[in-house]
Amino acid sequence: MNQPPERDSSGRFVKPEVETPLPGDETMHPMSRLLFGWVSSPRVPILILIVVVTTCIGLLLLDFGLERHEKVEMANANGFYALWGFAAFGLAVLSGWPLGRLLRRDEDYYGEADTKPDDVEHGS
Amino acid sequence: MIGVLGQINPGLLLVLVGFAGCLIPAQRVRQAIMVAAPVVALLLLTLAERGTDLSVVSVLSIDMILYRVDSLSFIFALAFLIASFLNAIYALHTDDRLHDGMALAYAGAAVAATLAGDLMTLFIFWEITAVSSVFLILRAGTKAAYQAAMRYLGVQIFSGVLLLDGLAYVYKSTGSLTLEAFTSFDQPGAKFVFAAFAIKAAFPFLLKWLQDSYPKATVVGAVVLSAFTTKLAIYAFARMFPGFELLIWIGAVMTVFPVFFAVIENDLRKVLSYSLNNQLGFMICAIGIGTPLAINGAAAHAFAHIIYKGLLFMSMGAVLYRVGTAKASELGGLYKSMPWTTIFCIIGAVSISAFPLFSGFVAKSMTMSAVAYEGYVIVWAMLLFASAGVLEHSGIKIPYFTFFGHDSGIRVKEAPFNMLLAMGIAAFICIAIGLPTIGGFGYGWLYSMLQCTVTAPADVCLMSGDEIKPYKPYTADHILTQMQLLMFALLAFILLKRFGLYPPERPGTILDTDWLYRKPGYNMVKWAGNVWGKAGPAMTATFADLGARAFEKIETTFSPRGALARGALTISMAMWSAVLLGIVMLVVLLA
Repeated sequence: MNQPPERDSSGRFVKPEVETPLPGDETMHPMSRLLFGWVSSPRVPILILIVVVTTCIGLLLLDFGLERHEKVEMANANGFYALWGFAAFGLAVLSGWPLGRLLRRDEDYYGEADTKPDDVEHGS
Repeated sequence: MIGVLGQINPGLLLVLVGFAGCLIPAQRVRQAIMVAAPVVALLLLTLAERGTDLSVVSVLSIDMILYRVDSLSFIFALAFLIASFLNAIYALHTDDRLHDGMALAYAGAAVAATLAGDLMTLFIFWEITAVSSVFLILRAGTKAAYQAAMRYLGVQIFSGVLLLDGLAYVYKSTGSLTLEAFTSFDQPGAKFVFAAFAIKAAFPFLLKWLQDSYPKATVVGAVVLSAFTTKLAIYAFARMFPGFELLIWIGAVMTVFPVFFAVIENDLRKVLSYSLNNQLGFMICAIGIGTPLAINGAAAHAFAHIIYKGLLFMSMGAVLYRVGTAKASELGGLYKSMPWTTIFCIIGAVSISAFPLFSGFVAKSMTMSAVAYEGYVIVWAMLLFASAGVLEHSGIKIPYFTFFGHDSGIRVKEAPFNMLLAMGIAAFICIAIGLPTIGGFGYGWLYSMLQCTVTAPADVCLMSGDEIKPYKPYTADHILTQMQLLMFALLAFILLKRFGLYPPERPGTILDTDWLYRKPGYNMVKWAGNVWGKAGPAMTATFADLGARAFEKIETTFSPRGALARGALTISMAMWSAVLLGIVMLVVLLA
C-alpha cells in the first residue's frame, strides 16, 4: 500500500527517503571504482577538510610573503581575497534559508510539474 | 575557386543545410551532414579575407552586407561553429529530423548574424534564430515545454520587432544601415536597438525567458540553446554599444542576483540557466567598460563560456537522459555509474569557477582587471562576490549534488558514447585554452584571436588604460588571489555542510520576476475576460432595450400616427419652417 507523502515543518510535501537498501559496490562501474573508489571511505570528509584547511593556511602565509600591487586599494590587504571568498560564499548560501521560505512554492504551482522531455531514455 | 569559397557566408550555408536536413529521413545520412556542415563552415571562415565586405546584395536600394569578417566577429563565429559541431555529435543517439535540422539552422543563423555587415542582415538572421530555436523547446513534448515555447517565441519576436523599429530610425536619419557603434542613447534608434539586444541578452527583470525555457527544452535542445542566442546578443552589444556606462551597472547586477536564485533552485538545468545569466553579466559589464582590454575580456569570456557552459549542460543532459530527472533532490551518488560524465562535469565546473589551468581563469580575469583599472570599486566588489557565487552554484552544487553527496541509490548506464565524445572534446578545449602557452596550446592561442587595436604582435595587443602592454594571466599575484578566493569559498562550503547550515535541496517552484506576468498578469487578463464575458451580454441587452424605447418614443411622436401628425399639420409645418429660417438668418447676420 502506498504511504501518504511526507510533509516538512512548513507543511509542504517532501520526497520520502529511499528505504530500500542501497545497491552494493558490485554494481559500480569499473572506471568508477578505479577513479573514485576512495570517495566512499568514511575518512574522506575529514581528510578533505584537512587538505583544504592546510591549503588555505598555506595561501594565507604566501600572501604575507608576497607584495601585491592591486589597482583597488583595499585588495592589497593581506587575506582580503580569502575573507571575501569565505564571506561571499557564506552569505550566498545562508541567504538560501529565508529566500527558500519566501519564494519556494509547490512544484505544480504553474501547472507545469512535468518537465521530463520526450528524448530521455525512458521518456513518455 | 578559393576566392569564391571565401565569399560564402558559412552561417548561411548552415541555415540552408539545416532546413534541408529537416527533409532527410535517413538518420545516418542526415547526421553525417549535420556533423560535416560545421567543419565545412569552419574551413570557409578561415578562408575569408578580414575587414572587407565579402558579399553585398542590393535590395530595395538598401545595400545588405551579407558577409564581413573582422577579429570580433571571427572569434564569436568560431565559437559558434565549434559549439555547433559538438552539438551535432552530442545528438547522434537521437532520431528527430526536425530537431536536427532546426538545431543546425539555429546555429547557422547565429553565425550568419555575427558575420553580417549591416543591421538589416543582422535583423533577418536574428529572427531566424528565434523561429528555429523554438523547436528545440517544443520537441520536448510536454505541456510545460509547449507553454514555455510560446512565451519564448513571443519574447524573441518582440525583440526582433524592436530591432526593426530601431533600424528604421537609423536608416531614416543616416540613410545607411552599416554596423556603426552608437555613441549616445540620443541617436535615432539607439534605444530601440538597445532594448532589442537587452531582451536577447536576458537582462535582469526583463521577461525571464531564459530560465523559463532552457530547463524545459529537450536534452539536446538545452545544450544547443545555451550556446547561441545570448552570446549573439553579447556580440551585438560589443559591436554597437561598447563603452556605455549603463551596461557596467546592469552587468554587475546581472552577475549578482542569479547567485541567490541558483542556491535555492532544485532543477539543475535551471541552476545552469541562472549560472548562464550570471556569466553574461561579466561580459555585459566588460562591454560597458569598453576599453580594449575589457572588450577582449568579453570576447575571450564568451568563447570560453560557450564551451564550458555547453559542457555543463551536456553533463546534466546525460544525467537527465539516463535517469529521467535533473532535480538535485532526486540525484546523488551517480559517480558510481557515470564516471566519465562525472569527470567531464568536474572539468566544466572547475573551468567556470576560474581555477588556474582552466579556461575561465584566463578569460574572466581580463574583465576583472579592466574593471579595476577603470576604478569601479563597487562593481569590482560585486563581480568578486559573483565569482564566489559561481563556485557555489556551478562549481560545487552541480557536480556535488548530482554525482556525490547523498547516494540516491540510482544505478544507470554511463552516457552514450557520442555524448561522452562531445563532452570529452569540450573538456579538452576547456583545458587547452586555459594552460600557460606551451607548444601551440594554452591561452596564447585564444588571445591571438582577440580584437587588436594597436600595432603589436597578436598576443600582446591587449591594452590597459594608457599603458600598452601584454596582459598576462599567469602572474604570482593573480594565481594567489584567485586561489585564495576559491579555496576559502570551498572551505565555507565544507563547514556549512558539516554544521548542517547548507539549505537542503527540496522540490518546488522558485518564484522569480516572471511570476508577475504568469500569475497576477495572467489572472488580470483572465478576470478582464470574465468581466467582459458577463458585462458584454448585459450591455448588449441594455442598449437593445434603450434602443427599442427610443424608437418607440420617436415613432409615437413623428410617425403618421404620432402626436405631431395629429391635426394642424400644415400650420405646424409652416410655423416650424419660419422658426428654422429665422435661426439661419440670425446665424448668417451674426457670423
